[in-house]
Amino acid sequence: MTVGRVEPEAFARLVAVRSEQNNDPASSLCLACTDVLGVTGAGLMLMSGGRSLGCVAVSDLVTEAVEQLEYTLGEGPCLEAYANRAPVFDPDLADQGIARWPEFRRGALAAGVRAAFGFPLLVDRICIGALNLYHDKSGVLTETQIGDALVVARLAGRTLLAWQAVAPPGTVAWQLEAVPSHRIQVHQASGRISVQAGIPVTDALALLRAYAFAEDLPISDVAAAVSEGTLRFD
Amino acid sequence: MAREQDLLAAFIEFADTIVDEYDVVEFLHRLATRCVELVDASEAGIMLADRDGMLHYVASSSERMRLIELFELQHDEGPCLDAYRDGVAVISSLTADTFERWPLFAPHAQENGFASVSALPMRLRNEVIGALNIFSTKTEPLEPDDQKVAQALADIATIGILQERALSDARVVTSQLEVALESRIVIEQAKGIVAERNHVSIDTAFTLLRTHARSHNALLSQTATEIVDGRLATDELTASVPKRP
Repeated sequence: MTVGRVEPEAFARLVAVRSEQNNDPASSLCLACTDVLGVTGAGLMLMSGGRSLGCVAVSDLVTEAVEQLEYTLGEGPCLEAYANRAPVFDPDLADQGIARWPEFRRGALAAGVRAAFGFPLLVDRICIGALNLYHDKSGVLTETQIGDALVVARLAGRTLLAWQAVAPPGTVAWQLEAVPSHRIQVHQASGRISVQAGIPVTDALALLRAYAFAEDLPISDVAAAVSEGTLRFD
Repeated sequence: MAREQDLLAAFIEFADTIVDEYDVVEFLHRLATRCVELVDASEAGIMLADRDGMLHYVASSSERMRLIELFELQHDEGPCLDAYRDGVAVISSLTADTFERWPLFAPHAQENGFASVSALPMRLRNEVIGALNIFSTKTEPLEPDDQKVAQALADIATIGILQERALSDARVVTSQLEVALESRIVIEQAKGIVAERNHVSIDTAFTLLRTHARSHNALLSQTATEIVDGRLATDELTASVPKRP
């Protein structure tokens, strides 16, 4: 049984102090994760019913780009950690000997990420998503890091739900509202495409993702083009 | 400002409410103790309402029997009950009219050496879950600055308790979050559909959806779902609300 060194109280305090400084509790939560675990990036993705509800927090822009990639491709450490309800380790994304998430690995490497790890967010035995950890150098996590990551993932899951618990009914907690605007644009674009192509909205989202993948473009760029009217699907 | 630093320190101190399945009583005891220090009072304590809306003593800065009795007296009358029922702060010296107002509680409080009492409602928006009670030997009632601090502590306590209750059954909060996230997605999709089909901007599309929802007494998310499912045609959306005959 791996045991971490991080004290839960100390972690919670670190998040609180950082939040006071930058008024963004969600990114503060991710930054605290990178501090404690010694990795270069952390992201939190929420999932339900087998599909992603989106990334709700990131520590930095590189992580944001990689999380977006995972969302576009529908493959990656978060999704697998959620599906297995167990940690997932890819200590060397460039290791060709492992056949897993080929497109995700290609994109993450291009963004400067060399290792990726996913930890399920478990609260009261429910898996609500996953914590993604990225590092700019390849290498395995030590036993201490794994122990700490398990503690931190548990606290992160509880924190997300604690925020939601005191949100006005029917709304998303304000701490989780800092969804990048591109996410909103992606859903608006899906609406437009469904009209243009005469297909249901879920198919329109799949079409949008497929186009982004085929053209090797960030999904946010494709969504922006659809919104501006420079790209149509009819 | 020193006061703000005190509050920040208190907030950080209680940030570990999400750390683990913590002991509510221990948390409230520490909060009551911190309250006494920050507002320079003699004693403080917390009463929480049960499912039937009856207040019960939960924790206080000290566990002297006479103090606890003062809380248990407040079952039927007293500053806590008033603060809980009305959702507003009750700040009072123990004078003649408080003896009329609280015929059982006021004399007992005075016998215990207290000259003023306060009760701050523990509320979050429209929900009041209990009250933070403060006792002082000074005749002057709680000053406005101290009242702000006490209310801030009551708020911290409220949030901590509501969060812990939610986390002990994460299912409810999880599904609330999922529903909220899904309905946001549907609203954005509907905006795109309306903008495309009606040849209007996204903002105008949003206005059309909102107007329709309001005039049909529906939630925005319901109207959006009907648009996405195709059950509501986009040409049924108008910018003006139909006038009542």
